[in-house]
Amino acid sequence: MRQRTNIIAGAVFVLLVIATFIVLGQGRNTQRLQAGFLGMIQPFLKHGSSLDRKLTELREGLKSLKQLEEENKRLTIANKELSATNQTLRGFETENNRLRKALGYRENFPFQLMPARIIARDASTWYQTVKIDRGSEEAIEPDMPVITEEGLVGKTTVVSEHAATVILISDENCRVAAAVEGSSEKGIVRGERVSNYGIPVIGLGFLTKLANLQPGQKVYTSGMGGVFPSGVLIGAVRDFKVRELDGYATLVPAVDLSTIDDVFVVISETK
Amino acid sequence: MIFFGILLVTMFVAAVAQHFIGPVPFIFARVMLVPMVMFYGALALPLPGMLALAFVGGLMNDALNTQYSDGVVEIAAGWSIILYAGLGTIMSGFRPLFQRGRWEIHCLLSGICTSFIVLAEYLMITIRRQPVQLVFNEQVWWRIGGAGLIAAFLSPLIFFLFNYLAALTGYDPQPERGLIKR
Repeated sequence: MRQRTNIIAGAVFVLLVIATFIVLGQGRNTQRLQAGFLGMIQPFLKHGSSLDRKLTELREGLKSLKQLEEENKRLTIANKELSATNQTLRGFETENNRLRKALGYRENFPFQLMPARIIARDASTWYQTVKIDRGSEEAIEPDMPVITEEGLVGKTTVVSEHAATVILISDENCRVAAAVEGSSEKGIVRGERVSNYGIPVIGLGFLTKLANLQPGQKVYTSGMGGVFPSGVLIGAVRDFKVRELDGYATLVPAVDLSTIDDVFVVISETK
Repeated sequence: MIFFGILLVTMFVAAVAQHFIGPVPFIFARVMLVPMVMFYGALALPLPGMLALAFVGGLMNDALNTQYSDGVVEIAAGWSIILYAGLGTIMSGFRPLFQRGRWEIHCLLSGICTSFIVLAEYLMITIRRQPVQLVFNEQVWWRIGGAGLIAAFLSPLIFFLFNYLAALTGYDPQPERGLIKR
């Protein structure tokens, strides 16, 4: 009797696995499954994340009223400075667009930024992703660039209603077209599968063998490929070596990917 | 049936909890809770129950970890189900020993099988990504072996917790040892 039950269970299992492969064989269905599951666990991740933050705050100790007043004053001044800078840059942007138009180039549209909070870090061994608390309901779509004020973080992949997965630039599957400051060198930035004892490692490949990049030279997104806007800081050159077919530089990421908490998703402004 | 439900719920909780447990310092291996629950189920449940756990656990693992980038799925969703079921079947073979009260079987096999899962993931990624770079340096070995060591260390805790829960629900995973006083 038990043997018969086992055979039936085995047969049902095999059929289910075959059905899973057939249904999820199409990438779109896998993405739907992932989005559905992400949506299911999102409330738990969000609450868990806020609890984690509260515990960290508690550990760091409560700030006194005087400290808060000083911080508030400092932030108000910083806010005014940034607003003033922003106004000036908007002016330059308008002027730039006007001039580009006059020259017949496509007009540059300003970007809209959606602030997001990291609610979970990756739970797997070989992938480097984070989960953020914004999803399709907040106009997030797959393949949107994610940045901080310091530089590039990655791009969105799976998007559920109120959460999204962001693949970090330190992941081997995230490739970014890049340009090197002060040179005409262009290449592809890619993460490495195994980090350097916990420190994310990214490299810039497909450079010419004569590139001879110097430590400290900055690397920015080139805007090619259509996902990442141009001019976003990726990192700085750590060292350069010549490989068999190309030049390769190891980079220090501009953003500390292991400690970031808040990010911005770049949403292109619609015409 | 109640105990099977508890294992399923715990598996879901484990999948969420894994997100808040960072890599272990120095070795950077992960604490893999979902396989640990799955492997306990493989020893405590009969074959149909184990297969059901493998299906749910594998699907959950793929839903969380399969990478979808540039319109391409890196490793087809469903592979984890086969991996879990295969390892679960091997563990089921040791069930008679487990039923006699040999708890260290769970500890040892959890460690080996968890390491095997991490190794299999690494090999699948390596073969899928071009150009194929089969790197096996110290860090890679620590991640593979470390995950198994952590699982082996934590499995007695999982074992006693689930045995306690099983006793509460009236299910006896080790009948020859006599967990439940009749």
